[in-house]
Amino acid sequence: MTELYSASGSKVHSHKADIFCRDETRVDWHSKALWLLREKRDRAAASIPEWEQLRQLGSELKLHTLTHLTDYLQQFEQQCLANGIVVHWAKDGQEHNQIVLNILATHQVKRLVKSKSMLTEECHMNPFLEQHGIEVVDTDLGERIIQLANMPPSHIVVPAIHMKKQEVGELFHQQLGTKAGESDPLYLTRAARAHLREKFLTADAAMTGVNMAIADQGAVVVCTNEGNADMGANLPKLQLHSMGIDKVVPNMDAAGVLLRTLARNATGQPITTYSSFYRGPQQGGEMHVIIVDNGRTEMMKDKILAESLKCIRCGGCLNTCPVYRRSGGYSYNYTIPGPIGIAVGAKEDSTHSIPWACTLCGSCTYVCPTKVPLDKIIAHHRRLKAENKTLPYGKSGYMPLVGRFMASDTMMNTSMSAARLALRVLPGSLLKPFSGAWGKYRELPVAPESSFATWYAKNRSR
Amino acid sequence: MSSKNSILSALSQSALTAHPMPVIDIDVTPQPLVETFAASLATVAGELHQHGGLAALQAKVDELMAQNLQVLSLVEGVSGNRQVPSTAHELADIDYAILAGELGVAENGAIWVSQTQHRVTPFICENLILALPEKSLVANMHQAVNQVSLAQGALGVFVAGPSKTADIEQALVVGAHGACSLQVYLY
Repeated sequence: MTELYSASGSKVHSHKADIFCRDETRVDWHSKALWLLREKRDRAAASIPEWEQLRQLGSELKLHTLTHLTDYLQQFEQQCLANGIVVHWAKDGQEHNQIVLNILATHQVKRLVKSKSMLTEECHMNPFLEQHGIEVVDTDLGERIIQLANMPPSHIVVPAIHMKKQEVGELFHQQLGTKAGESDPLYLTRAARAHLREKFLTADAAMTGVNMAIADQGAVVVCTNEGNADMGANLPKLQLHSMGIDKVVPNMDAAGVLLRTLARNATGQPITTYSSFYRGPQQGGEMHVIIVDNGRTEMMKDKILAESLKCIRCGGCLNTCPVYRRSGGYSYNYTIPGPIGIAVGAKEDSTHSIPWACTLCGSCTYVCPTKVPLDKIIAHHRRLKAENKTLPYGKSGYMPLVGRFMASDTMMNTSMSAARLALRVLPGSLLKPFSGAWGKYRELPVAPESSFATWYAKNRSR
Repeated sequence: MSSKNSILSALSQSALTAHPMPVIDIDVTPQPLVETFAASLATVAGELHQHGGLAALQAKVDELMAQNLQVLSLVEGVSGNRQVPSTAHELADIDYAILAGELGVAENGAIWVSQTQHRVTPFICENLILALPEKSLVANMHQAVNQVSLAQGALGVFVAGPSKTADIEQALVVGAHGACSLQVYLY
């Protein structure tokens, strides 16, 4: 499996997907595990009569906030300051990491306990802090598993979804000293609880991501099921929270709407176990919030791409995606996989292949709790790649030809009739090579009697 | 230019056109609050004690103390065998914490708890018991967020059941890093 996320080798989506698909049983298992989440999500959504109304509200309140972001960010900062929270601004990942390091260095922090934050993954913060001698302990169970295994996350909500319990059992046996051959999830979870409790009690600082930042309160909201964010943020005297500029919402009413859809859409739960509101440091403590841009304002300059900033990171689009479920989280050449990963990561993708890791079926857009038009954004990325002359492999060569070909009735009709004839008279083995990548997992079609135009003229045009 | 100013000035080049804040006006489905809350709490793996009130809770606490368990109560009228320690870390061996729930949400079983001193208390205890006034129940989150208040320096948290995870092969395990069980006494 290391082949999937190692730095060497081709990072083109179809190549990585090929590697993932070698083990057919595992692919089926992976796909089913994710589909189970989609089914739970459907049941949770159906239990709320006003579900569609909530999606519409979620979409509009995020759009409203994004279109008034300057005001809301400044209001949020002012309210934070009034609550005794230190606010930092970072243009990019590098500046974010440096700010974090400076805060930690001032407090001589040796051990940092961290709960899930896709932003810190995006900024590659852990390796940076480790280089500076700080022990970073990921405390979400899934994240701890992949940290011990030295892997990146393969899903934004369930980061170790690609691992089987036997693999986790073996990993814990080697790293945490659990019994050999033991793979019971309850036993392994309890072992991780004991292991991480010791880390929480001896940490010098804690860091969390932010699900929502409430502008008029100067408070951040952190949602977890495990309680790891709260065990961290409330034990050591120093708490840090990193957030993208897109995490701001105007007020508690807005947070109320998103708290109704977030967990339901992620895992089918009515709400996460803990939705914690932090409005200032604990007695004698310090609280820092780092507001990060890292490409988001750039995205906002494009009307279509800007809508991807409505995302609340529930992971619903990953669970429903037919491509993600069968190609895995490591095939996207970006920290965030799946449809939302393409939407926010395609610009960074040096292989220029991930906008094509999509069938444009639109299922992601249909399940999104804030109505991010993911399929439209992905199609737009294809256009941008073409406009920037960065179409992948053959596409820049043959797509213009296909376009010209399909625009001409004569060329289209002549060659299609030739193809129908060939399908009827020539052996499949001779024709198959011409179908290219399309034919890799498909059989050639049976040739129809006539073209659609001929059929229509005969049967319907009278 | 400071990073703050450069971010704010980059925002002025946004391609989005101003969108108004939507009116959040969701009809409340009329449902019996206690029954709906009970069903939701069961869904999130919490246990409800609907009858008996604080007297039943004290009886439970007495039973726990008789087993030599460490019980800390911050609920008026209910007494445990531990006092609030000087540091939060000393709470690590608390078996049961008894805290006040301020508001319960019927649609999802979440209970609002706020904590100023030793904010880790609802999480670090092995088991959590919340005393919740029946009259504090509301139908949904829209009503809930309007009624809770966030004090400066306090932690306010909606607690929905005991801590849990499904990170290993999607198998639900109750008891991750926070409390391993949640019992709610209505009064």
